[in-house]
Amino acid sequence: MAEHIVSSYDTDLQDLRRRISEMGGIAEKMLIDAIAALVRSDVPLAQAVIAADARLDLLQREVEESAISTIARRQPLAIDLRETISAIRVSGDVERIGDLAKNIAKRALAIAGQFQPQKIVVGLQHMSDLVLGQLKDVLDAYAARDTERALDVWKRDGAIDALYTSLFRELLTYMMEDPRNISYCTHLLFCAKNIERIGDHTTNIAETIHYLVTGETLAIDRPKNDRSIDATAIATGA
Amino acid sequence: MNPVAVSASSAIGQIPADIASPVRIAVKNLNFYYSDFRSLKDISLDFHDRQVTALIGPSGCGKSTLLRTFNRIYSLYPEQRADGQILLDGQNILSNSIDVNELRARVGMVFQKPTPFPMSIYDNISFGIRLYEKLGKADLDVRVEEALRKAALWDEVKDKLRQSGMGLSGGQQQRLCIARTIAQKPEVILLDEPTSALDPISTGKIEELIEQLRTEFTIVIVTHNMQQAARISQFTAFMYLGELIEFGPTNKMFMTPNQKQTQDYITGRFG
Repeated sequence: MAEHIVSSYDTDLQDLRRRISEMGGIAEKMLIDAIAALVRSDVPLAQAVIAADARLDLLQREVEESAISTIARRQPLAIDLRETISAIRVSGDVERIGDLAKNIAKRALAIAGQFQPQKIVVGLQHMSDLVLGQLKDVLDAYAARDTERALDVWKRDGAIDALYTSLFRELLTYMMEDPRNISYCTHLLFCAKNIERIGDHTTNIAETIHYLVTGETLAIDRPKNDRSIDATAIATGA
Repeated sequence: MNPVAVSASSAIGQIPADIASPVRIAVKNLNFYYSDFRSLKDISLDFHDRQVTALIGPSGCGKSTLLRTFNRIYSLYPEQRADGQILLDGQNILSNSIDVNELRARVGMVFQKPTPFPMSIYDNISFGIRLYEKLGKADLDVRVEEALRKAALWDEVKDKLRQSGMGLSGGQQQRLCIARTIAQKPEVILLDEPTSALDPISTGKIEELIEQLRTEFTIVIVTHNMQQAARISQFTAFMYLGELIEFGPTNKMFMTPNQKQTQDYITGRFG
């Protein structure tokens, strides 16, 4: 894209992109570390994840302030307006992803050292690998303004929902088998839900990329495979 | 940058229902010449009834020239000529059989700098009416008041109608000129950068006025202010080097223009 006649306008927009790119890197690392802390009961790593969230929050506030200032001072139009609005949206989603990773780290601290059913932990790890792939792809798609790659992410979220439903059922079974499992299974259930929510935020970012590039919002509903509500009914015989 | 001209019919696409209205002025294959220089190149474009259409583009792109063809003000200059068609309510105003004085009563114009006549506020308005109509004093008073009210100026000048129009502020003078135009009961109002010499408050008043006048008149405005075009118009035409590059509903033009040239211009990347 051609440069603006006023070069500081380009600097402003580049600055927004740079901050979001840094936010994406931090959020990815937070998710990887949070899951590793959970799996390995690694207390210092979980504490590092919790500490990293402050930087993400700060960057998000900076993106918001900078975007608002760009709107006020430059009155962006067309692609520039979509770029500025998209920066606000994407930074909000990435900041929430950080919050959810932090929540997983807090739960890792809460259940550190307790017995964890290996099958569930492997399932959680698999789910987080899928979500991490989504997050990487969507951040790359944002940097490259690649709407096709963003749409791929958007379509794949159904698989994460399905995995979440399956984990939900298994955890429910463990809890029904022995009430002593309820405490840590509930923590793991929240971890699974947090990972699933991170998946949802990646699809939000994919939708924003589509809007940024085309100027149109996705008209169709995203494919969803979260059947955990039905699973509750089956498990409880309701 | 080479201009990529498009025909109005292919550029417009779907008109949203809230701004759909009949065509008031249809420009067809319009060319304009300053002596040998062709400054408008095969322009085809529709202006919709009781909507504001903004003409935007860099200096020298032909937007003011296009505006000046609608009341044939160019015909004051012998070396300037137009060919093609401009249909106002289906009648070609470029035809020799058109009475230009009558045309200029139907198509009023307001210029960049306020141009009040050196006479009283009252006479500034009544002067034009008297040219075309024989009215008694009482009827004339009604018409003057009506025009000043529609131009949102009445409350500010009602106690000094006999004072000179030249004594008003720039913004008031511009509204006086709009009142003078309205008093003729035109169908179309042409505005050539009407706020470029005004402060933001006076500009706001003129923009508010344009919004109100839209319910009665078809308005065409030339402006260099992108935000102003985005704020007050329903349709926008982008011109470059005498060609129409893109025309469409203003929302579409300022959010997702079809042409790269339009996007480059409105986002300040032109060059």
